[in-house]
Amino acid sequence: MADMTVELQKKTRSELGQILTGVARDPLGLMGLVIVGTIVFCAIFAIWIVPYDPVAMNIKDRLQGPSTSHLLGTDQLGRDTFSRVIMGGQVALKVALPAVFGAMAIGLTLGMIAGYGPRWLDNFLMLLFDTIRSFPTVMFALAVVALVGPSLQTVVLVVMATSIPTYGRVARTQTLTLQNSEFILAERSMGASMARILGVHMLPNIIGVLAVLAAMDIPTVIALEAGLSFLGLGVKPPTPSWGALLKDGYSLIRQTPWLVVGGGLPIIVATLGFTFLGESLRDVVDPKLRKQR
Amino acid sequence: MFFYAARRFGLALLILFVAVTVMFLMIRAVPGDPVQIMLGPRATPELQARLTAELALDQPIIKQLMIFYGNMLQGDLGIDVFSGRSVTTIVFQQLPHTLWLIFASITWSASLGIALGAYAAAHPNTAIDRAAAAVSVSFVAAPAFVVALLSLLIFAVHLQWFPAIGAGEGFWDRLNHLVLPAFAIGLSWVGYIARLVRASMLEVMGESHVRTARAFGLSERRIVLIYALRIAILPVVTVIGVGMGFLLSSAVFAEIVFARPGLGKLVIDSITTRNYPIVMGSVLISTGLFVISTALADLINAWLDPRARAAR
Repeated sequence: MADMTVELQKKTRSELGQILTGVARDPLGLMGLVIVGTIVFCAIFAIWIVPYDPVAMNIKDRLQGPSTSHLLGTDQLGRDTFSRVIMGGQVALKVALPAVFGAMAIGLTLGMIAGYGPRWLDNFLMLLFDTIRSFPTVMFALAVVALVGPSLQTVVLVVMATSIPTYGRVARTQTLTLQNSEFILAERSMGASMARILGVHMLPNIIGVLAVLAAMDIPTVIALEAGLSFLGLGVKPPTPSWGALLKDGYSLIRQTPWLVVGGGLPIIVATLGFTFLGESLRDVVDPKLRKQR
Repeated sequence: MFFYAARRFGLALLILFVAVTVMFLMIRAVPGDPVQIMLGPRATPELQARLTAELALDQPIIKQLMIFYGNMLQGDLGIDVFSGRSVTTIVFQQLPHTLWLIFASITWSASLGIALGAYAAAHPNTAIDRAAAAVSVSFVAAPAFVVALLSLLIFAVHLQWFPAIGAGEGFWDRLNHLVLPAFAIGLSWVGYIARLVRASMLEVMGESHVRTARAFGLSERRIVLIYALRIAILPVVTVIGVGMGFLLSSAVFAEIVFARPGLGKLVIDSITTRNYPIVMGSVLISTGLFVISTALADLINAWLDPRARAAR
């Protein structure tokens, strides 16, 4: 048994290696890998990278343009924009990662149950998914924020709720396709429990596709968080979110262009990076998906 | 076709019904007095008393839900906390602005996207095809509100080619005010639609009716434009229908950035003034809009392509 686990680990590691090599061979994939790598690196080591405290005010130096001491200038309170951009990346990932992984875990579970479970449960879950998807995302987010008030947790929760159906649907379709394959039928004839069939045999075959979806979903989440913060309904000031930067930049758009540029470009670059990575991953992991979407 | 339509609309109604229930439960799930939550802190005591009576809060929750449905069926979405006017009237007053914006955005982006996609498919693997693909991916990635802010910065504030705020008066002025917001909303759709049309076009070009047209000696131009494109734009219809919610979301941001009247501005203003009936009413109406447009897209698709009727 112990030998098997080791072997399994070795196998998955080499598979992951293969996937990464495949992505790196594709020019767009490599670009995505580099961009995402940079963002993650900056987010993890943000406190050592930032030249200034991102919330420290210095009224004397406010609204400056780019210079050697302030790479992207300063905002209306004299805070260093570059430092806020770097810290903003950390905030964006803090929202995006839990939201995407949470949605993926819940969507995966519900989707597998819908695909494998009884028909009525399937119908019920699909109706639920269709309903959640029928709320326009931003409108739904605004309604929730209006009811429970803006905070980082609210944003994570809303994003999670709205993206569960996407994962659920894909997981369901995959489960349905796998259901009649021989290895599942064999397992069933040996009397394996539903939990074992789903967890041990189905999961490894579904997770790859969902991981691709997740990578492509992260930009949407980042944009939504930034959008809500831009409207003043996301993370609270003085937290340096990219959306908050845009909010300040919007009200000062006639005084300085640098806040809008500083808040906007990272969002576009991050979106590009994750999209490239996601598309390239998809082509490597499951070329068939290309046609489905 | 009739049965398909009936079933599809039945599903749409069911979804709306569940959505309304979810909304009702959401309001109830928030701790505190529902009247306070629904009306917000600015409501007058008379209004609160009136709503308490209307909602029948002393009755069991099932009864309350029934009353909620009843009001909804009569088109009663509550009353504006400040002016006392009906929420339905206020929302439907703002809705046309948003719909025009969405219409303008999707019109320009779909036309350009279809043209680009068709051209790329007719000349696959040329430099232009590759350039179009690269540009498509980059455009798809740009969130509408960031594009809106950057285009406001460049084209309205610095170059001053287009007005920065409002919706304008009179036809030409209105059109002029539409340019930047419609550009911002539509940009990501150009690439998306181009990719979609290219893919489905390449598929259609291999089908037998195109081969037959070729055998009849029709010009390549005629084959591409009339025989292939007609089928190849089918997925675009579905994508636009399903993308309605996405378009609506982008429109909310574009309205804020360009200070245009519309549903988005109405909702945001209502959130800041804590005028909750308007927020809830707008969310429900936009949800209804989205559900209907998705159903319509499915119907159009089924009408144009009988094969779609069989699949769920």
